[in-house]
Amino acid sequence: MISKNPMERRLRISGMFVLLGLLIEVLALRWIHPAAFLVFAFIGIPIGSLGIVIYLYSLVSLRSSDNRTVEPT
Amino acid sequence: MISPQTLIMALFGLSAGLVLLLVLRPSLTAQRSGKILAFLGLLALPVLCSFVGTTAQMERSKQTSFCLSCHIMEPYGRSLQVDDPHYVPAAHFQNHRIPTEEACYTCHEDYVLYGGLRAKWRGLHHVYVQYLSTPMNPIRLYVPYNNRECLHCHLGARSFEESPTHTALRDQLVSNDMSCLTGGCHDTVHNVGGLDKVKLWNGVH
Repeated sequence: MISKNPMERRLRISGMFVLLGLLIEVLALRWIHPAAFLVFAFIGIPIGSLGIVIYLYSLVSLRSSDNRTVEPT
Repeated sequence: MISPQTLIMALFGLSAGLVLLLVLRPSLTAQRSGKILAFLGLLALPVLCSFVGTTAQMERSKQTSFCLSCHIMEPYGRSLQVDDPHYVPAAHFQNHRIPTEEACYTCHEDYVLYGGLRAKWRGLHHVYVQYLSTPMNPIRLYVPYNNRECLHCHLGARSFEESPTHTALRDQLVSNDMSCLTGGCHDTVHNVGGLDKVKLWNGVH
C-alpha cells in the first residue's frame, strides 16, 4: 500500500486529507445544530484545504525535481 | 424534481469517490487523463464542494428552525405563537407578514450593505457566547432595535402611510430618533418573561 514513488505518496496523503475534509463537511451539512457551521468552516474546510495544499506542493516539488534532473552537468 | 440537497450530496459523493480512487490507485496520475482526474478530484471538486457547502450552511442559518435549535431561544420561538395581536413578532409570524421559515432573520437582519454578513458575524458571536462565555440573562440585543428594519417593509405601505400617528412622526421614525418600540406604540415584543400567563394560538404550549 505504501508507495515508493514520492509523488504517489504525496497524492495519497493529499487525498486522505481531502477525503477527511469532505467527510466532515458532509456530516456538518447533515447536522441540524448551531455548531454545525463551525465544524464545517473551522474543521472541515481547513482539513480539506490542507489536502489541496499538499497536492499543489506535490506538483511544484515534482516540477522542481524534474528541472534538476534535466540540468546539464 | 431533484432537490438542491440531493444535488449537493451527489456533488460530495462524486468528489469523495474520485478522491478515493486516487488514494487507492495513485499510479493513475502517471497518464495525462489521470493528471486531469487528480486536478478535478484533489482541487476543483473539493473547492466547489466547500463553496457550495458554505452557501448551503449560510442559507440554512437563516431558517427559523435553525435559530430555535439553540435551547436558549426556545421561549422566543414560543412567543411567536402568542394569541395576542399586540405582540409584534407573533402578529407578524402568524399573519405571514414575514416568511415564517425565515422569521428571526427577516426581522433581525440589518437592511444595509453587508447586513447579511453582519448578521452572520453576530451569529458566530452568539455561538461563542453560548459555548465559551455566559449568555446574558435575560437576553438583550447588542444594540437598540433600529427602525430601519421595520421601515424596510412598512415605509410606503398603505397601512403605514395612512396612519395619522405615523404621518405626524414620520421624520423622527425615519431618522431613528424615536423608536417604533416606544412605550404606548409597538412596545410589546417577545416579552418572554410573561409567556406563562398568555394564551398561545393553535394550541401550541
